[in-house]
Amino acid sequence: MAIFVDKDTNVLIQGITGRLAAVQTKIMLDYETKIVAGVTPGKGGQTQFGIPVYDSVQQAASKHRIDASVIYVPAPFVQDAAFEAIDAGIKFMVIVTDWVPLHSEIKIKAYAKHKGTRYIGPNTMGMMVPGQTSLGGVLAPGVKPGGIAIVCRSGALSNEIPSRLAEQGVKLSVVIGLGGDPVVGSRMIDVLKLLKEDEQTKGVLLVGEIGGTMEEEAAEYIKTHFNKQVVAFIAGRTAPRGKTMGHAGAMIMSGRGTAESKIKAFQLAGVPVAKTLLEIPSLVKQMT
Amino acid sequence: MFQKCGIAIPRGVLVRTDREAQRAAIEIGKEVVIKSQILAGGRGKAGGIKTAETPENAAKIAQEMLGMELEGYKVNSLLVEEKLDIVNELYMGITVDDENGVPIAMISAEGGVEIEEVAKRKPGRIASNHINPLYDMRSYEAINLICQIGLTGEALLSASKILTRLYNVFTAYDARIVEINPLVMTSNGAMIAADARCEIDDNSLFRHPEWQDLRIQRIDNPWEREGVKAGVNYVDLDGDIALMANSAGVAMSLLDIIKDEGGHPACFLDTGGALSKERMKNGIALLLRKAKSDPRVKVILVYTSLVFSLPDTVAGGIIEAIKEVPADIPVMLISAGEEERRKQVHELLKDSGVKIWPSVEKGVREAIGIARQESRNGYIC
Repeated sequence: MAIFVDKDTNVLIQGITGRLAAVQTKIMLDYETKIVAGVTPGKGGQTQFGIPVYDSVQQAASKHRIDASVIYVPAPFVQDAAFEAIDAGIKFMVIVTDWVPLHSEIKIKAYAKHKGTRYIGPNTMGMMVPGQTSLGGVLAPGVKPGGIAIVCRSGALSNEIPSRLAEQGVKLSVVIGLGGDPVVGSRMIDVLKLLKEDEQTKGVLLVGEIGGTMEEEAAEYIKTHFNKQVVAFIAGRTAPRGKTMGHAGAMIMSGRGTAESKIKAFQLAGVPVAKTLLEIPSLVKQMT
Repeated sequence: MFQKCGIAIPRGVLVRTDREAQRAAIEIGKEVVIKSQILAGGRGKAGGIKTAETPENAAKIAQEMLGMELEGYKVNSLLVEEKLDIVNELYMGITVDDENGVPIAMISAEGGVEIEEVAKRKPGRIASNHINPLYDMRSYEAINLICQIGLTGEALLSASKILTRLYNVFTAYDARIVEINPLVMTSNGAMIAADARCEIDDNSLFRHPEWQDLRIQRIDNPWEREGVKAGVNYVDLDGDIALMANSAGVAMSLLDIIKDEGGHPACFLDTGGALSKERMKNGIALLLRKAKSDPRVKVILVYTSLVFSLPDTVAGGIIEAIKEVPADIPVMLISAGEEERRKQVHELLKDSGVKIWPSVEKGVREAIGIARQESRNGYIC
């Protein structure tokens, strides 16, 4: 198994009849993802692209073995949808929806941890294991299975970068979009711990951005515990400073969270950092 | 908000003129504190909080404060409050520790000053603890935390009660952060929130429609205000390339490339990934209006990933925007994704005058070139 999912993962789509879900379900089916069921309350009994739709996750789970759920329901309903999947015993979720309230995110995180469910997102493009499966909307034309893992905070960059690398002949073990929000299900460090044990992965590209402390935390882990090659990129080096930084938040971060601090943390951990998007392929190729 | 959740606040009146300030001071009938109302912390240090012994003095201070600029904000209103008989001042705050993804409560025995300062100088005077977001804050959690800054007896119980109520403010209003600073202990043993701050999570505003208008009113930059109305993230800058992307990460990466290549972004607009035709239209129309009113803007550069968005969403949004606000500067589109979809976008936009670039580097260099040239020649459409 790759990390989180592989070609045998049975997938449920929550909110399958929505606009974005329809677009991405098509992408996943084209990638031969094993989508076994969908859920939209009130639309039970219908089908979408030939996939049976149920009124609840529990109903779907009583008819199918479900290993992972991809969640597209609108932001106001995401907390309930995630709790529903967790309560049905689903062990992996991809929460694609963006603009999810912070307080919903912290509750999902606490409940998932309590029940032993892992997830990526919210506000993620999803993830793909090249040649095996794709959950969400990661669609990188020309990407072939290989040894480089891409772990990315930003949505569209998780398409842009794999495409660029594919053009240069770089082959990938996994592409994971963590999600752009401050509180996400899996942070860089969580994914690195799994990649450490993943035999297929030989090197890792971490794509970070300003804000939060995920990159500093990852750099610290790499320095002491990680045994594979890593290169990184931080988006937003020249962006104006954010305006919403609260006092208590600023204290927790104690000066961390800027592009300079992240780049410095990576450099101290021996991780080369690409200056721009355009420099990424040459750095990655040095690992292979 | 704080009062509704059972936290006592000083008696006070919001005023907008010096005469109102005088009347408020007479009404309160004792020494008052005059506080400038701005959306930033640190106003005390900047001269935005003053004491007035008499109503005449209150009027004089109000006259000085109204209209002055503090921490980048203009002071339009003042709060005239009873002066509290202070015995001790504490700090209480709750926010989200995003490293762990859980709420964290922080208290300090040194109220009235910035918590960051206390953290640096006297870290021993601060205590903090995580709170399980699946339950309300328990009374014993509050007591255990407050014990750590040395409070005992009645003071310990009052402060604990206020901390659990502050947690209720935090959850009831979907706050990113709530703070009471200072929490004043008066000579008769009362605990009063002399100053407080609450920052509400924008993503939760559908649960608090009453704040939506206020949020928009309080944004100073008119274009950033338009951005909120259009449902996009907009940051105003002062260059000549108006930049838009359907992802914050890509927008930031482009910003870096533009600056490294010697270009100057005029703004940063992120529509978010799940793009609708309407959001696309709103975003482009906003940039076109900005370009019309700001002669510094020479070119509009748009990046869209066609993975999340369908060709007719992207092209249709652009066409509708140009119909609404005719373009008199070049509009450039970089579109990434499947070739099939890129061709469709090309086809749909062939009569629109929009130039399409398949690669980021070429698109950015072209945009910088146009911006430079336009600055010299003036553009003829």
